[in-house]
Amino acid sequence: MDTLSRIKALAAKEFSIDADGLDPAAPLDTLGIDSLSFIEFMFKVEEEFGVSVSDEELKSIKTLADLERHVGAALAAAGKL
Amino acid sequence: MARVAITGAGIVSPLGNSLQAFQRSLAQARSGIRRLPEELTQGSGVKVGALVDWSPAPFFKDGEAANLDRVSQFALAASAQALEASGMDLADADRSRIGVYWGTGMGGAHTLDASYKTVYGAGEWRLRPLAVVMAMNNAAGSNVAVRHGLGGPFANFSTACSSSAMALGEAMRAVQAGRADAMVAGGAEALLTPGTLTAWQALRTLAPGDPHDPAASCKPFDQRRAGLVLGEGAAAFVLEEESRARARGARILGFLTGYGNTCDAAHMSRPDRGGQTRAMREALADAGLRPKDIGYINAHGTATAVGDVVEADAINAVFQDAEPLVSSTKSLHGHLLGGAGALELAVALLALEQGVVAPTAFLEQPDPAIRLRHVALQAARIDPPRAVMSNSFAFGGSNVVLVAEQNGDGPHFP
Repeated sequence: MDTLSRIKALAAKEFSIDADGLDPAAPLDTLGIDSLSFIEFMFKVEEEFGVSVSDEELKSIKTLADLERHVGAALAAAGKL
Repeated sequence: MARVAITGAGIVSPLGNSLQAFQRSLAQARSGIRRLPEELTQGSGVKVGALVDWSPAPFFKDGEAANLDRVSQFALAASAQALEASGMDLADADRSRIGVYWGTGMGGAHTLDASYKTVYGAGEWRLRPLAVVMAMNNAAGSNVAVRHGLGGPFANFSTACSSSAMALGEAMRAVQAGRADAMVAGGAEALLTPGTLTAWQALRTLAPGDPHDPAASCKPFDQRRAGLVLGEGAAAFVLEEESRARARGARILGFLTGYGNTCDAAHMSRPDRGGQTRAMREALADAGLRPKDIGYINAHGTATAVGDVVEADAINAVFQDAEPLVSSTKSLHGHLLGGAGALELAVALLALEQGVVAPTAFLEQPDPAIRLRHVALQAARIDPPRAVMSNSFAFGGSNVVLVAEQNGDGPHFP
């Protein structure tokens, strides 16, 4: 499964929403994901991929596509991609 | 001053997860105390407890429960039941005039236990971001307010074993004072974790567990009593200004009319007859009742050597020859600590509404030093009394006494 699909599957489980209907470009708040829920979700994303996303990077993540980019970069930096 | 009607109740308990199931178990004197599983007791030495048979499924959507400590899950389930039973249409109500007063001793104990285990046990210095909002003491009550959008007065009481009784008494005051039209009030506790059990065991106040019948491990007022049995659960009530309840044709389960609140100011754990006596007298005076108006007292009765004698002496000092019926149902549902006062108000309401007095189970050999009119072993049926009392006495010296009065227009409980 590619990175985005894995992120979408995690989000679907965490927020009880349908993975197929998730638009990667949609702002997270329009998906009903508030800031606290997002931080908890990030914790699970970091666990899943074995990467760490800094507080600075976190601020720039507004969509699932942003998240995929950061996770992808972290995986690449760690030689995991 | 406004009279405060009780218009809904909800229960999560070792005796069942609805008011009806709870009251059925009480009437049948069925104990919810049992041998605790090894994964909970571990090296603590604790043998028995009163666990809730809990599955979040009927109350929460997929994944929702994973972000709520067990104590908040209990609080939400009990409150949802109470609100539903009240028949109140929240969509149509001014929810800025409905508040939440909640009580819990320890708060999110399971989250704390898991967090310490991760950090100190496993040496992993990385905790889930929700750890703080799951563990904080006010989480259970706040979750109730958030879930139902109740924007009126909010408070969280944490006075050990009197926490939820205090929440109810203060909620009654809030309605009487016109600060709210209605309140959701009650309490919850869920602290049966290996760490917390070890701390309780160190206090040398827990019953070792009846080797022949674990269900009979808690024996208040009995010569053989050997200490308390820890329990978990939640109880919630909807309290409402009488005219509001009448105007919407609500089912009124009884009226909360008396609240006594004192501190022994003497010792952190040793009970004090003077503080308890003052609290009972204050509650009676608050309700404008005389001792003989109280038909039944749900005693604090934890089954400790000293506590039961002191409470009996205090009751006798207040009631003298009025001799109300007395029982301690901790013999059946265990000690819910911060949730105890709320759960036991539901026991008292069963006597008030239906004349069913739940017993002190397993009281076969009454301690001669304790002179009370016991309801022992099996439930008693009486003419519904004018009023009932519930005692909650806590470590730290906090004493809270609640008095509820009959509606007078017939039983409503099924």
